[in-house]
Amino acid sequence: MNPEPFFQLDRVIHEKGRLAIMSMLAASPELSFTELRDALTMTDGNLTTHIRALQQEGYVAVAKSYQNNRPLTTCSLTPTGRKAFAEYINLLEQIIRQTRLK
Amino acid sequence: MYLGGGMKLENFQPNALGKQGGKILRLPTLALWCKVNGMESNWAAEHLQTIRTLMERSAVYRRALAPIMFFVGSIGVLAAVAGLVFRLDSPRAFGGLWLGAALAAVAGAFLIARRQAFKDREPFWSPPTRRVTQALLPPLTAGMFLGVVFVLVGLGNEFALAFIWLLFYGCALHAAGFFVPRGVKLFGWVYIALAGGCLLFLVIFHPDVEWRAHWLMGFFFGVLHLVYGAYLYLTEKGKNAA
Repeated sequence: MNPEPFFQLDRVIHEKGRLAIMSMLAASPELSFTELRDALTMTDGNLTTHIRALQQEGYVAVAKSYQNNRPLTTCSLTPTGRKAFAEYINLLEQIIRQTRLK
Repeated sequence: MYLGGGMKLENFQPNALGKQGGKILRLPTLALWCKVNGMESNWAAEHLQTIRTLMERSAVYRRALAPIMFFVGSIGVLAAVAGLVFRLDSPRAFGGLWLGAALAAVAGAFLIARRQAFKDREPFWSPPTRRVTQALLPPLTAGMFLGVVFVLVGLGNEFALAFIWLLFYGCALHAAGFFVPRGVKLFGWVYIALAGGCLLFLVIFHPDVEWRAHWLMGFFFGVLHLVYGAYLYLTEKGKNAA
């Protein structure tokens, strides 16, 4: 099997927690920190760490605002993040095709 | 031995970080290569399936919830007023009136959601819509069957039917709450707690009370929906994605 596509997989997205965050954000225009935390059953600290890592790569944008006088943190995918996620999916599909041909 | 990315096994440095296309690989190249070779043929497919499941779960149904709540609430209030004014108190008349109201509410809610979808140029029968419908269907169908039995057989107490409907409706909202904004799940609990508590209180302390069930239905299916609709209208940011 040609391992090339596997080596091209984005290591930042490939981590389980971050992949889950990217997948959730890819399907919604934006999600609040609480929605993400509840859906993925992550701790606040864990989620913050992953989001920070994604933010540093420029994949996720974080916006802070207020709703009903309460702070609201929302996350969304940046165009770069969307592109990286699409490439990641393409590579996975490529791996599947290769293993089927084997 | 060829490792990919122009690297040979002979040149492999333990614990060195490999580079691929400008991106730093966080695992040693040998570990990655071992992973690739040891990979099950369905590994990537499982990964894709997980991504798909997460994406579907993330697509929360938010379409036109406030207008739907207003519509359903208005139907509830109108049905209660009609029942009280025209004295539709027999079990059959009561069951018939509220089954008709439920049918009108469900049909109207679907039309509102459909109109909103067409307005936004989105598919109406989207996966989130399907999931919400699937979640609502079992408790609502069970309630409908009970109502039909009450109407056909003319089974005694319409007060009991009203409470059964309320509890079923609370369960339906709670089930749908997994695929819509979280508040709907809480709204379902409000129904279950209020209706259950109210029933328990009446059975224990006032078993001989003679209220008219239309008041109960009007409050729960009418007023509560209107209040929740107003809350959504005031707090939602106008998101309509489904």
